[in-house]
Formats: sequence, structure tokens, C-alpha cells
Amino acid sequence: MSEFFFNIDHGYLEALVRGFKGGILTQADYANLVQCETLEDLKLHIQSTDYGNFLANEPGAITVGVIDERLKEKLVTEFVHIRNNALEPLATFLDYITYSYMIDNIILLITGTLHQRPISELISKCHPLGSFEQMEAIHIASTPAELYNAVLVDTPLANYFVDCINEQDLDEMNVELIRNTLYKAYLEDFYGFCKQLGGTTAEVMCEILSFEADRRSIIITINSFDTELSKDDREKLYPRCGKLYPEGLAGLARADDYDQVKQVCEYYSDYKALFDGSGNAAGEKTLEDKFFEHEQVKLNVQAYLHQFHFGVFYAFIKLKEQEMRNIIWIAECISQRHRTKIDNYIPIL
Amino acid sequence: DGTPSDATPGIFRSEEVCLAQLFLQSEAAYTCVAELGELGLVQFRDLNPDTSSFQRKFVSEVRRCDEMERKLRFLEREIKKDQIHMLDTGENPDAPQPREMIDLEATFEKLENELREVNQNEETLKKNFSELTELKHILRKTQTFFEEIHRREIPGAVRASPSTSATDREPLIHVDDEAHAPGELFRQIFGYGRRTTDIPNQTGGGDSMQGGGGPDDVIIADPVGDSETLELTGHGAHGASMFANFGFVAGVIQRERIPAFERLLWRACRGNVFLRHSEIDEILNDTATGEPINKSVFIIFFQGDQLKTKVKKICEGFRATLYPCPDTKSERREMSIGVMTRIEDLKTVLGQTQDHRHRVLVAAAKNVRMWLTKVRKIKSIYHTLNLFNIDVTQKCLIAECWCPVEALDRIRMALKRGTHHPMQEESGSTVPSILNRMDTSESPPTYNKTNKYTAGFQNIVDAYGIATYREINPAIYTMISFPFLFAVMFGDMGHGTIMLLAALFLILKEKQLEAARIRDEIFQMFFSGRYLIFLMGAFSIYTGFLYNDIFSKSMNIFGSAWANSLTEKEMKDLTDLNPETPVMLIPEKAYVTSPYPIGVDPVWNLAEANKLSFLNSMKMKSSVILGIGQMTFGLILSYHNHKFFHSDLDIKFMFIPQMLFMSCIFIYLCLQIIAKWLAYSATAGTVFGYFYPGSNCAPSLLIGLINMFMMKSRDAGFVGEDGKTPLWGCSNNLWYPGQSFFETVFVLIALACVPVMLFAKPYYMWKEEQARRAGNGHHQLATAEMVLVIIAVIQVPIMLFVKPLLVWRRDKAEAAARESVRADMNGGDSEAEVVQHEPKTNGGGGGHGHGDGPVSCKGERGGYVQLDMADVMVYQAIHTIEFVLGCISHTASYLRLWALSLAHAQLSDVLWTMVFRNAFAQDGYIGAIATYLLWFAFFFLSIFILVLMEGLSAFLHALRLHWVEFQSKFYGGHGYAFAPFSFEKILEAEREAEEA
Repeated sequence: MSEFFFNIDHGYLEALVRGFKGGILTQADYANLVQCETLEDLKLHIQSTDYGNFLANEPGAITVGVIDERLKEKLVTEFVHIRNNALEPLATFLDYITYSYMIDNIILLITGTLHQRPISELISKCHPLGSFEQMEAIHIASTPAELYNAVLVDTPLANYFVDCINEQDLDEMNVELIRNTLYKAYLEDFYGFCKQLGGTTAEVMCEILSFEADRRSIIITINSFDTELSKDDREKLYPRCGKLYPEGLAGLARADDYDQVKQVCEYYSDYKALFDGSGNAAGEKTLEDKFFEHEQVKLNVQAYLHQFHFGVFYAFIKLKEQEMRNIIWIAECISQRHRTKIDNYIPIL
Repeated sequence: DGTPSDATPGIFRSEEVCLAQLFLQSEAAYTCVAELGELGLVQFRDLNPDTSSFQRKFVSEVRRCDEMERKLRFLEREIKKDQIHMLDTGENPDAPQPREMIDLEATFEKLENELREVNQNEETLKKNFSELTELKHILRKTQTFFEEIHRREIPGAVRASPSTSATDREPLIHVDDEAHAPGELFRQIFGYGRRTTDIPNQTGGGDSMQGGGGPDDVIIADPVGDSETLELTGHGAHGASMFANFGFVAGVIQRERIPAFERLLWRACRGNVFLRHSEIDEILNDTATGEPINKSVFIIFFQGDQLKTKVKKICEGFRATLYPCPDTKSERREMSIGVMTRIEDLKTVLGQTQDHRHRVLVAAAKNVRMWLTKVRKIKSIYHTLNLFNIDVTQKCLIAECWCPVEALDRIRMALKRGTHHPMQEESGSTVPSILNRMDTSESPPTYNKTNKYTAGFQNIVDAYGIATYREINPAIYTMISFPFLFAVMFGDMGHGTIMLLAALFLILKEKQLEAARIRDEIFQMFFSGRYLIFLMGAFSIYTGFLYNDIFSKSMNIFGSAWANSLTEKEMKDLTDLNPETPVMLIPEKAYVTSPYPIGVDPVWNLAEANKLSFLNSMKMKSSVILGIGQMTFGLILSYHNHKFFHSDLDIKFMFIPQMLFMSCIFIYLCLQIIAKWLAYSATAGTVFGYFYPGSNCAPSLLIGLINMFMMKSRDAGFVGEDGKTPLWGCSNNLWYPGQSFFETVFVLIALACVPVMLFAKPYYMWKEEQARRAGNGHHQLATAEMVLVIIAVIQVPIMLFVKPLLVWRRDKAEAAARESVRADMNGGDSEAEVVQHEPKTNGGGGGHGHGDGPVSCKGERGGYVQLDMADVMVYQAIHTIEFVLGCISHTASYLRLWALSLAHAQLSDVLWTMVFRNAFAQDGYIGAIATYLLWFAFFFLSIFILVLMEGLSAFLHALRLHWVEFQSKFYGGHGYAFAPFSFEKILEAEREAEEA
């Protein structure tokens, strides 16, 4: 039923976001970009794409940093426009998208503070989509409990944080645990929200989110080998909204090495294919890349095949983010004259 | 060569455009392109389509231009920020020489640097200034904080300092009992700021707080040990040691951050700090952006080192600026005075800086628009040069362009000017630039010359599709037919006049309005269509006059042809019975003289019962006549198109059968309508040889048309044997001698036309193919074809034409043309042989005509493609079906002329009777007021519903009638527009982009 009334509330924004998606760089654009000799060339070429004159007012020689900043600025402008024009429940949905950036920012700030970096330097590295008012005051906290009581309690992340409250001092290990616990809670919450929205939104988003959840579980498992993380702790970090839940996650919790992880995933056709094609040898794509490719290219692009749902907004942000990574990658390769790896971007369309 | 050579004069077709090659000496290329840009008659083709934008030759120049543009934009922004008027004389400076570009670059560089420096200085100064201002506010506000606290302090406290008056209280907190103070103060402070806690006063150095957080851990430390904390105490003499534990920080924060700041402070410090804040009324400016921001002064009291670091961190996190604030009043006052003087000093310096900046900007503002024009010109020239091929050996640039044949001389002149540019002497370029006409099989762009009057109409046509190169341009006919068809639907003198006046206003004020550059889309729409609207208004007045309709009322100018035929007695009898009885005017008696000279007789406006049936019949019939007239005209235009493109096949097997089909059914119908109008009236008499008893026997054309197709046998004449009594259903009978024969013949001809339209053309194309394939056997095959065709002619009555011979001849001529070398450049220049433009023409292959090549027909790009019989058949079938069914549906479609006209008249009638007429029903003052008020309602509804909405709807219908019904008869619309390289257009586009 919701399809009938979708356009009344969200038609404009869906049209807008589909238009934005039309501006995503194509394979031909990338082919041109990798040919660039200097960043000036890159700027010239990017002017002929949907990005237009976003670099036109930069004085002096442009740097990768400037490009990154402008790219983010453009994305944020677009997102903020969409967010400002959104009605419920799309508004909440869009807020959910920003939460993941908030988590990233919090972790970045804590880690930075642990390493005694000045807060102003850290702030500039934060993703503007995930900034919130109390963010800059994060460095006053020295334990998770303080962090929660002083800073996070007013933010939407408060609910996710409840599981991490303890009085231990913040250290690297702790921060990683916080990050993954937050993500787990966030993903499960977002998943539940999409499920409750129902319709095509649930269909599309649950697919994407469950993949994201499983990806996290697998990566956590693989990265935890040879660390002090106990198996019990590890199991607590798995988001329980993916396809691996419950049997697969139980299997992962018992895994001791890469092969066992692979074995567990063999039972799932989607993941089997990803494991099969990956490797660390030259010419092969790493598992991480494979996951990205699957998530970005396949799932997010597929989101556009359905109509009347919110998945397109999520997919747009994710695709755009991947595109920004690609551009930055290419720009870095150009500026560092490191052309051999320039083709390692992940094309979207 | 397929390009038609006979050039008919300008307005009926697009300009003849040819492909030309330019050889420009590399030194002169820039100036030549500049001249061509001023001329604006040349469309360059991209000769390096595979090269990406950053690999082209002049990319560094383009980049320099981009950089210059950026600097100018920066300048412009700064100028706008200072609200300095930019001089825009609209003058059009010539594109500067490449050498001048360096000067410009230097100028801009200097200006930018100077400005940046000034800005930087200014920013530093402003930052200082705002810091000082903030400090000033802090000093002022903290003073009030302290005083408030003091006032809330035990009133008795004042007693302790006899020197203080009510207005000038020296001590911040003045207590008489040392031991008593800290706890009390704390309580006061916290009680004030947060929630009142009832703690009994405790004497001694320690006190515990019961705030929101964790109160127990606050132990007031030993006063002596805490020397770092800023002292809160007021008078040194009294309480230097009393409040030593309470530190405070004061600062400024953005006002909207206060709530979150306060909350976080409370949480992080567990309620052990006390925050007071107060808004700064003065609006401060952000130092970096210059945007106004609201700020608040705050002061935080806390206790202990740990809390201090925490508070400071939080302040940093919220981007609050902290300022040192002295403890004592006298110090504060001293500082305040110091701050004030420094502010004054800064103001002077700032003023000077700003003056300097202003002077720089004012000087720049005079030139900035002109510079921008120059830079844009340079940039567009280099963009164009990037399209050229570079011939390394000959040191020249080779360009290809489309240009109107008629303008070739002007282009040559421009090239000459460019080559021998006065600035160019020392380059020693004596070799002239060369323009060669080239032959091409590619279809040239369509270039219709327009002026401000015709542009609107051309837009209407172009919106449907750009005309195929050199086909008839319907815009010229649209200029009259469009407003006329519109007016048929919109016929009302009153509304027409309103429209006319509005358009007249736009036309008379057009210079001012153009200069005002109003960017509103809706306004632009009306403005660009002002001449169209003017004509629509004028025609509406005319049709309104014919319909005798002005705001749904009629005018009796010439005297009605109808009179009241009833005597007074008869009238009385009728009205006595029932005053509402309708009176019928019987034509035989009431129709007195000759008809009303022009337009509809005003008497019909009074005929409530049958006004509509009279008008409907009239308007419907005229709609059909107008529509069929326009469609037939479209068909005739298609003949001229076929003739122009030498397409005999199309004339014979498309145009003629179509015309026959049209005539036999639809033009015949029109003739019937006219005959009925002229011959049949209310009076009895003999018409076309049959006795006509009266109006109820007037022939019914609609039924007649149906019967024509059904070939139903009917009686001839209207009366029975006796020659008097009308037959039952006499209106359906045959009404002129030989009608049934003619109609049968017409129907048969029309039906016969269908297979001709469907099969003849594909058949001949197929035949042509066969001829090609057969190669040498042309003659024999042609005779065989003749025989075949003669058989076909016998079988299908329309195929009367002895065509094959001609078809074969044309084929042969074409083959000969193909084989001749294509490079016969007819440019007239002696250098014609310098470059042979081969790539475009090969691929044609020499096979054609020899019997060994691929069997082919003329393809898109001059090559040959296999004739696909299925495609041709499908295309032809679609076309035929479209035409045959289209004739019927399009005729019906023209009835919208009547329908809209009816709707318009009815709406306007409703508006009069339902709205304005109510006012006349009232008498006296009420009547006057009602008339006054209802007039406005009537007027605005007239404007918005009848003129604007109805006008828009009639406009759209007229548009449809032209695009679909009229243009489908002849218009191909497969062309593409001529887009010349023109500075004027480029600058205009840039300007629009800037304003958007």
C-alpha cells in the first residue's frame, strides 16, 4: 500500500537522488581520469562530469587534501538538502545513515586523544556527516563510563553505548571493542528499523544491512587471530542481523584460523563466491576488496532497480563514498607518481 | 551529390550550409578565430574527438584563462561584499591579443595579492578587534554577575563596607564574617544557577554540595594551597583567602551552543561547577566569514585543578574563547579602560585598512566586467583552437566548419582581417588563410535566420524537432495560422483586447524590460512570446467580432436581420397564459431582410433555447473546413518538399494518392458543407433540381458521409410522388443528381489509393535494387520492368505512370555521380588541391553500378547500406496507416476548435450571469456597492480563468494542431540546429549561468 502514497511525501527526494545517481562517474570517466598526468589534468577532466566547477575557485595548486575536502563538502551539501526536505519516516532513516559516521568520528577522536593529538587537528579529519554538537568535547573522557555520562548520553548513540559502559581506562583495545560494539548495536537497530518500515525498503535495506553485518563478523574474526581478544568477547561483537546468524556466527566464534572461517562461509553461497575469488597474491583481489565490490557495486546499484523505497538514499551515500575513495585513490596515485596501482579503484557503473 | 542546388529564397527553407576547411597559419589562427567569433556565423567541428580535454594543444592556455577567471570571480565577490557598484557599460571589447593576456594575468595577480594581503591584515585586525570587544563585554557582564550575586548576598553585607553606595559597589562579594562565607557563597551561587539546595550554613573551610551529580567528592581544599586558581574574591582587604578555592573562567561562546554546553558541563563535572551566562546584545561578526553571529558571555565557577582542566577542555570543545578576567573591581576597571583605548586605536587602523581596500576595489570595479568579457573571449578562442587539427609540416592549423554559403564572403573577409591584423605585422605571416569548400555526404545543420519577431514562432516549430536540412520551414506559415487557430478557440473581443494590450505593453517596453534582465521563468516565457501573444490578441478580437461575442454579450451594429413577427395581441395572449412562455420566431415571418452583414446575428444571443445548437453547428462546420484546409495545405507543402529533393517516387506514390484520398473524402465533405450553407434556407424552393420543402429536409451531412461509405441505396429528392409532402427521413436522401455515382467513385478511388501508398514505393525501391544487382542487364531489365509496371497499372487504377525508365535513368546518373572523384572542391581558391578530404567519402565503395558491390541504397552518411525490404515495408505500412487513419482522426481532432470555443463562450457566459449580473439585480446604494465589488470579482476571474487559463489551454491545443495535425503531413524534423561559434552567445550564456 505504501507505494501508492510514496510519491506524495518522498517523490521529490527520490527523483532528486536518482538524478544524483545519474551523475556517478562511469567506467569511461575513470578511464580518462587514470590517464591524467597531473592533478590539474584531473581537475580539468572532472569539470566535464557532474562535479562541474567544484574546484574552480581554488587558488593556487590543488592538492589531494583540497580535492577530498571539496568532494566531502559536495556530498554533505547534497545530503543536507535531502535531509532538510525529508519527511518522516525518511528523516529518521537518513539520521540512521549519519549514525555510522558519528561512530567513526567518536572512535577517531578517542584514538587521536589517546595518541596525544591536538583536538583541532582531529576535528578536521572527522567526517562532516557525522558531526554533532558535543563531539569536540570528547577528549575530556578517560573511561567509557565518563564518555557515556558526559558526552554521549544526549546523542542518538546513547542506546548503543550502554553495552560498553565500564570503568576501565580507554586504551586501543578498549576503543576497538567500543567501535565494534557500537557498530553491532547500530546495525541491529537500523536493521530493526528498516524491517519495521516494511515493504520494498525492508526488502532492499535488510539485504544490504545483513551483508554489512556478516561482513563485519567475518572481518572481526579474521582480524582477531593472534590478538588478546578472547573468543567469548569476540562473539559478543558479532552483529546478529545477518544471514550468518545464528549457526554461522556460532561457527565463526569457534574459528581459530582463516581456513576455518572459510569453511564456515562455504555453507553460504553468496560468501563462498567471495572467498573463492580472493587472495593476497598479485592480480587477485583481497577479501576486503571483494566485500566492497559486492556491497557497493552489486547491492547498492541493485537498490536502484526498485522503486518507492528508501534504500536508494542509503545506496546513494554509499556509492558516492566509494566514488570519493576512487577519486582520492587516483589523485593520490597521480600526485605520488605511483601509477602502477592506479587501476585499483572499484568502478561503480 | 544529394545536396539540392537550386536555392529558393531565404524564408521558406533553412539557409544553405556548406562544409569548409580552413587553413590557418599558426601565428594568425588566434586572430582569425577571434574575428570569426565576432562574426558568429561558423560552426566548428571537433577534429580530435578521441582526445580527452587535457591532452589537447592549448590546454595550458585554457587553464591560464580558468585561473584568470577565478581571480576575477574573487575580485567580484570582494566587490560585492563591499557593495560597490560594478560598472557594466555593456561594451564589447575585442578579444585581446595573446600578448595582452600576459599583461592581464599580471594585473590580476597583482590585484589579487594586494587584496589578499589587505584582507589578511583586515582579518587580523578584526580578530583583534572582536577579541577586544568580547573582552569588553566580558568585563562588563562579569561585573553584573558579581553585583547580582552580591545583591543576593545577605543584605547585611552591605553594611560592612560603608564606603559603597548603592550604585557603585566596590566589593564583589562582601561579607562580614570570614568563616561564614564560602559555604554560603557556594550555596548562593548554586542555588541561583541550578536548583536550590537547602544546606544549613556550615562554618569552617569545608563544605559539601548536594547538586545533581556526585556531591560528596567536593571537598573544598585548603585555601592556601591553591594559588593557581583565579581568585573570586572581591576586595583584597576582606576576603583574599576566603574564596581562594573557587576558580572561575570567563569567556565567550556562540549563543546557540549554550544549552548543550551547559548540559555537558553539568554532566562532566557532576554539577560541581556553576555557570552563568548572559547574551551580548551587540551583534558580532565572524572574523573569517564576516557573517553576523550572536554570542554570549559566560562565567564558570569551579573548584580545584582537576575541574579546571576539565572545564577548559570542554570550553575548547565548544569553541568558546576564554579571556583572563581580573579578580578585583579596580583591576577590571583598569583593564576595561585599557581595552577601550585599544579598541579606539584599532578602529582607526581598521578604518584605514578598509579605506585602502575600498580604494583598490573601486578601481577594480570599473574594469572588472570588461576584463571578464575579455577573459571569456580568450578562453572560448582557445577552446575552439583545441578543436583544430595541427599540421606539423605546414605549420598551420586545419579547421573544419559548417558555414552558410551566403555568408562565405563575409567569412573570407573576416579571415583576411584576422590574418592581416594590425597587431600581427611582426609575426611576418604573409601567407593568407585559406577557406576551402568541401563536399560532404553528411547532412549539414539547419540554420534558420530569425529576427526578434520570427524567433518566437521558430521556437514553436523547433520545440517539436529541428527541420531536416533544407526542408520547408513551417514557422513562416505558423506565424499566421497559429494565432488564427488560437483565436478560433478564444474568440472574444473583450478578452482579446486584454491580451492585446498586455502584449502591446511588453512590446513597447521591450528595451527597458530586456535591460532589466528579469530572470523569472514565467515572465521570460511571456516576454519571449510577446509578438505571438500580440497576434493572438489581435486575431481573437477579429474572431470575437465574427462570433459577435464580447464578454459573452453581443453588439447589434448593423441591425439584426430578425424582427418580432408577433402582433401585440398575440404577445399578450402568450404572456397572459404564462409570463415565461418562450416566443418562437418563425423564419418565414420574422426573418426580414438580407442576412446580418458580417459575423453572427446578435439576435442569437437572445435565443436561449436554440442559440447553442445554431452556434455549435456553425462552429463545427467551420472547424472541419479550417482543419481540412490546413491539412491539405500541409500536403501541398509535402509536394514542394518532394519536388525540392527531386523525389519523383514520393511525388507519384505518396503525394498523389494522399491528395486523392484527401480530396475524395474530406475535401468533398467541405464542398458539401459549403453547398449546404449556400443553397438551403428556411424557404421552400427547388435546389439542385429537387424540390425542397423546408428546413427539416435540409440534407444531413454526417449521415450522408456514413451512407457514402456504406454505399446504401437511398431515395433521390425530398418529396413523395405528389411533389409536395416531404418523405419520412427526407434529410438523409440524395440531394443532387448523380450523387450516388460520384460517391461510389470517390470511395473506390480513396480505397484504391491505400494499396498504392502502401506498396508502390517499396516496390519501386525493390525494383531499383534489382536493377543495381543485375548490373549490365539494365536495358532488358528496364523493359521487363516496363511490362511489369504496365500490368500493375492495369491492376491498380492509380498506377498510370510510365516510371521505370525514369527510375532507371536516375539510378544511372546517381551511379555516375558516385564514381566521380568527390574532391572537386568548388571553393574557387587556387589552393584547392592542397588537401584532399578523403576520409569522409570513402567507405562508399565503388561497387555500385558495376554489379559486384554490395547491393545498397543511399545511407545516412553517404555510404551504402543494404536495402532491408522488411524495414522499408514496415516503415511504409506505418506511414500509410498513419496517414489514412490520421486523416479521419485528425479531422475529428480539429473539432477541438469548436469544443474550446464553446467552452470559452460558456464559461464567459457563466461568469457574467452568475457573478456580475447579480449586481444589477440590486437597486439603490446596495446596487452601487454590489456593482463595485462584483466588478472586481468579475474582472479578476475574467483575467485569471478566461484569459490566462483558457488562453493557456487554447494555446496548447493550437500547438498540438500544428505539431500533430499540420506538420505530420510534411515535416520530417530530423535535422540538428546550427550552433555557430559566437562570442555574443557565449558571453550571454556565461552571464546567464552567473545570474542563475
